[in-house]
Amino acid sequence: MQSMSDMDWGIMAPEWVIAIACALLIVVDLFLKNTASRRWIGFLSLLAVGMAGGWVITQFRHKSAMILDGAYILAPYTLIWKIILLTGAALVLLVSLGQEKKEYEPHEGEYYYLLLTAVLGGMIVVSTADLIGLYTGLELLSLSSYILVGIQKKKNRSNEAAWKYVVLGGVSSAFILYGMSFLYGLTGTTHVGEIQKQLSQVGSSYEAYVYLSFFLMMVGFGFKLASAPFHTWAPDVYQGAPTPITSFLAIVSKSVTFALVLIVYMAYAGPYGEFQEDMIILFMIMATLSMIIGNTVALRQTNVKRMMAYSSIAHAGYVLVAVATGNQILIPIVFFYLFVYLFMTIGVFAVIALVAEQEKSEDLKAFAGLYHRSPLLALSMSVFLLSLAGIPVTAGFFGKFYIIMGALELNHIWLIAVMIVTTIISYYYYFAVIRQMYFRRPASSDPVRVSWPMKVAIGISLIATMGIGIMPQFVLETLQSLLR
Amino acid sequence: MEKSYLSLAIFFLLGIALPMVALFFGRLLRPHRPLPEKAITYESGVDPTGDSWVQFHVRYYLFALLFVIFDVEAVFLYPWAVSYDLLRTEMGLFILVEMTIFVLFLLIGLIYAWKKKVLEWR
Amino acid sequence: MNITSYLALAAILFSIGLYGVITKRNAVMVLFSIELMLNAVNINLVAFAKYGIFPSISGQVFSLFSIAIAAAEAAVGIAILIALYRNKGTVEADKYNSMKG
Repeated sequence: MQSMSDMDWGIMAPEWVIAIACALLIVVDLFLKNTASRRWIGFLSLLAVGMAGGWVITQFRHKSAMILDGAYILAPYTLIWKIILLTGAALVLLVSLGQEKKEYEPHEGEYYYLLLTAVLGGMIVVSTADLIGLYTGLELLSLSSYILVGIQKKKNRSNEAAWKYVVLGGVSSAFILYGMSFLYGLTGTTHVGEIQKQLSQVGSSYEAYVYLSFFLMMVGFGFKLASAPFHTWAPDVYQGAPTPITSFLAIVSKSVTFALVLIVYMAYAGPYGEFQEDMIILFMIMATLSMIIGNTVALRQTNVKRMMAYSSIAHAGYVLVAVATGNQILIPIVFFYLFVYLFMTIGVFAVIALVAEQEKSEDLKAFAGLYHRSPLLALSMSVFLLSLAGIPVTAGFFGKFYIIMGALELNHIWLIAVMIVTTIISYYYYFAVIRQMYFRRPASSDPVRVSWPMKVAIGISLIATMGIGIMPQFVLETLQSLLR
Repeated sequence: MEKSYLSLAIFFLLGIALPMVALFFGRLLRPHRPLPEKAITYESGVDPTGDSWVQFHVRYYLFALLFVIFDVEAVFLYPWAVSYDLLRTEMGLFILVEMTIFVLFLLIGLIYAWKKKVLEWR
Repeated sequence: MNITSYLALAAILFSIGLYGVITKRNAVMVLFSIELMLNAVNINLVAFAKYGIFPSISGQVFSLFSIAIAAAEAAVGIAILIALYRNKGTVEADKYNSMKG
């Protein structure tokens, strides 16, 4: 065994940066006068996220390594996950800083460092291959997000959303943990690599338990991913949470859960053929249901945040199509899609936050005539929405295109058919927003005020969405070469 | 084997019969004179005021929560302390540093509770 | 002692917990039920650590972690419930339904 003090602790630096920043900010926030502005805590958090992100980028040159008996891994795929999480967190922080009137004003300090702990939890999940680490990281993320959802303590909806999230989150954690306990029981180890080896030997003689553990975990993941049929909490929580937190849930929490799904997938991927096929069927059912339910129920929504919740359920379905194929070649495509989804979703939620703040309404009608009031804002919103819808030659289109091509190679024809049909259905509700923005009369003619952090956030998302749309092949090839 | 079940059955029957008999004879022997004073809740001779279903102040919950959190975190210290000598030969001072970091994070939690005035009783 | 009985106990407790989450109207009872589910898993873990196919200490370590996390989860849950109670004045979970769609 490698001695603890000889380990290369430096490879954990990004996590340490976030953890230390978080601890310092908590202490500083506590000793600050109650009347003092907490805004700069947000900027410091942004700085910490930026530093961690910079460090992660330099680590691409580092060769793959493991510490703590393989419980912490540094490999290209963990680094890409971290880039996704940190970019998401940075943009969410920018959007939060850009909101002029915050309903969580007295808890603004807490808001920022809870975001940091949530991201820290996510980073632990993506870089560990030990069940204990996975569970602890996941819960750090979940517990922080429960509080973030309910941070508007005086607001009824925020409280209710937090309550629903805490109950459903708790149940799903219990399911995941129950599944993990069987996985441990069958193999006597909590390390995913060891589990894979052991399962391929003893798995066939305890088949019922293998299936049971997988089903239990899939129920838990289904809840966390908000994929149908476990999606019912998502619209309420997305609606009740503060808008930046809604985007955080849609991007960071979802990406972390996908990372978790892929890691757990590894545990079962031993030379153990029939089981894998059944696993793929289960993923396919979830993907199909998510796409159909997400896209059709979104048609009926009048609240934009609820609509985006269903849209995110549908997008979870699209990514699950790539996961369902169970093929390693599709991993870069999953990353590609999550990157694209990150930027367009943040963009949409930033605009929603701005409009909702100005109009005091999250209704679809609040967007009426946005083009005549703030043409630039309306144009960028259109770009994000078109990309989400997957209109040809946008980033979102290429994301879907690659998934379809991947699924085509593996002959999942009906899955592709469902994906294309539901995508076309989804045009309708994305265009409903665009219709409001261009063809409806505005209630007032004064332009929407956009603070500079908002401008930066929307600008980055816009450039990234368009950039990926212009040269998708380059991005995909970069991801593939990094993962090789 | 059957014998032990038999004794269990006798024990069970006796357990049911004894209180019934005792209560029955008690009822036969005792005088029956109900008074309103006898029906009220006994509070050391003082007349009871208000409802007995009082709502506890939220502050109690805060204390309880704080206790539970620190209690379960302390659980991690026990295995560490028990295996300290063994681990020290293997890893040296590192094991002490590691736990210091853990306790420091707990300390931040305590400072948080203290500054949020959860520890004060008013 | 056979491990099956421990697993059965855990399964029963887990099911009772799940049933409680779905059917209970009192929000505090819902939180209790979630705790019950998490603790059922702890029984599972400890049983596997002692009587499993490959007994090892990591199951007990895992259960320690899960106990600590469950406590934190309960704390967050209760805190949110208190905030909700202050706004709504009720712990009936059915009344928490202002959002529809």
